[in-house]
Amino acid sequence: MDSQINKHKKVIDGKALFNANKAQSSDESDGEQAWIAQAKQGSQSAFYQLYKKHHRQIYALCWRMLADKDSAEDVCQEVFVVLWQKINNFRGESKFSTWLHSVATNVVLGHLRKHKNWLQRVFSIEEQGANVAEPSVSLTDDSTLTILDQHIACLPERARLVFVLFAVEGYRHEEISKMLKMAVGSSKSQYHRARNLLKESLTASDYISVEEEMNHE
Amino acid sequence: MSKHKPQDKVVSDKLLADQVIMLPNEMTPERDLWPGIERAINHNSQKITADKQSNVFVPSAWAASIAIVILMSWLTFSPVINDKNVHGLVKTQSEVSVTQGQLVNFMQQNFKQQKQTLLASYGQPTVDKLPAAMQQELKQLADARASIRTALLTDENNADLLNLLDFTQQQELKLLQQLYRQYQVI
Repeated sequence: MDSQINKHKKVIDGKALFNANKAQSSDESDGEQAWIAQAKQGSQSAFYQLYKKHHRQIYALCWRMLADKDSAEDVCQEVFVVLWQKINNFRGESKFSTWLHSVATNVVLGHLRKHKNWLQRVFSIEEQGANVAEPSVSLTDDSTLTILDQHIACLPERARLVFVLFAVEGYRHEEISKMLKMAVGSSKSQYHRARNLLKESLTASDYISVEEEMNHE
Repeated sequence: MSKHKPQDKVVSDKLLADQVIMLPNEMTPERDLWPGIERAINHNSQKITADKQSNVFVPSAWAASIAIVILMSWLTFSPVINDKNVHGLVKTQSEVSVTQGQLVNFMQQNFKQQKQTLLASYGQPTVDKLPAAMQQELKQLADARASIRTALLTDENNADLLNLLDFTQQQELKLLQQLYRQYQVI
């Protein structure tokens, strides 16, 4: 139980970190513009500054979508290699972080498609069959993850992707349906499915009791 | 996954939504990802530079290669040059009292002269300042030329080989001209 309390604490710590970063990011926006301009000219040191600033967010996105540490690290690297190649396409019409997240999302989805195609070729797995299956991943004992992140990782792939893209990344169902090549209705139903599965699994793991114990401390 | 819980212990939509908002937006990877990224972008940059260089070279190299292949095919598969033509050529050579060896030497001197004039017009550039891939291609052409010349010394009265030598020399001159025009900074 103690370990659960500690894990839950990380969620609160996570929020503090999130807010602190938000305040910091507005102060650094001028510096970031300069880094972007220099990186467009081929400066690797400026690009490194962009990497340093954004890689933890991109890694979080990769981890949540892939639910696997090693794949998330590899794909996070791939995202920054693609960013280096495409940084000249950034016209400043949106925030850099927003644009970078869309680049990252496409890279992750591309990775999943490649991986799935390979699996399908080798094992002839039916796409639908893979999605209908109940989550087979057991709760990971990674203490660096929040309880909710551990439960998100256990969701079936499609439900997890839709949940992360809609609830965490803030994409609309219309956008998600295009990204995942599914109907808008399917995106919505996968989201509801993910939500129900999460509520069930969090309830089963006595999530509220953990929270209450923490509040009494 | 579902267990029976008292109503107040069930996670509601609101609680879930609150927890999602509180999710940290950053996670720290265990290993340092930058060295791998740096290696990949450096590798890509080198590849792009090499591709650009080969793109410059490709048209002329292709043209030369295709021409050589066509010529070689023609030499290999065309009807055998009849005795009349060979006798004609030998006769022509003998009439003017010029041996094939002399003709080859004459062609070689002429080629050197043309090459020298060409290089002089570009300020006597040195080949070693050209990109490595182009130096290699030029070397291959020069090697091919040398091989044809050697073959001519042992194969008497071969008009086709003479034509091929002439063709190779012209290609080398054209290629040099193209390269130095593009790389006038050298």
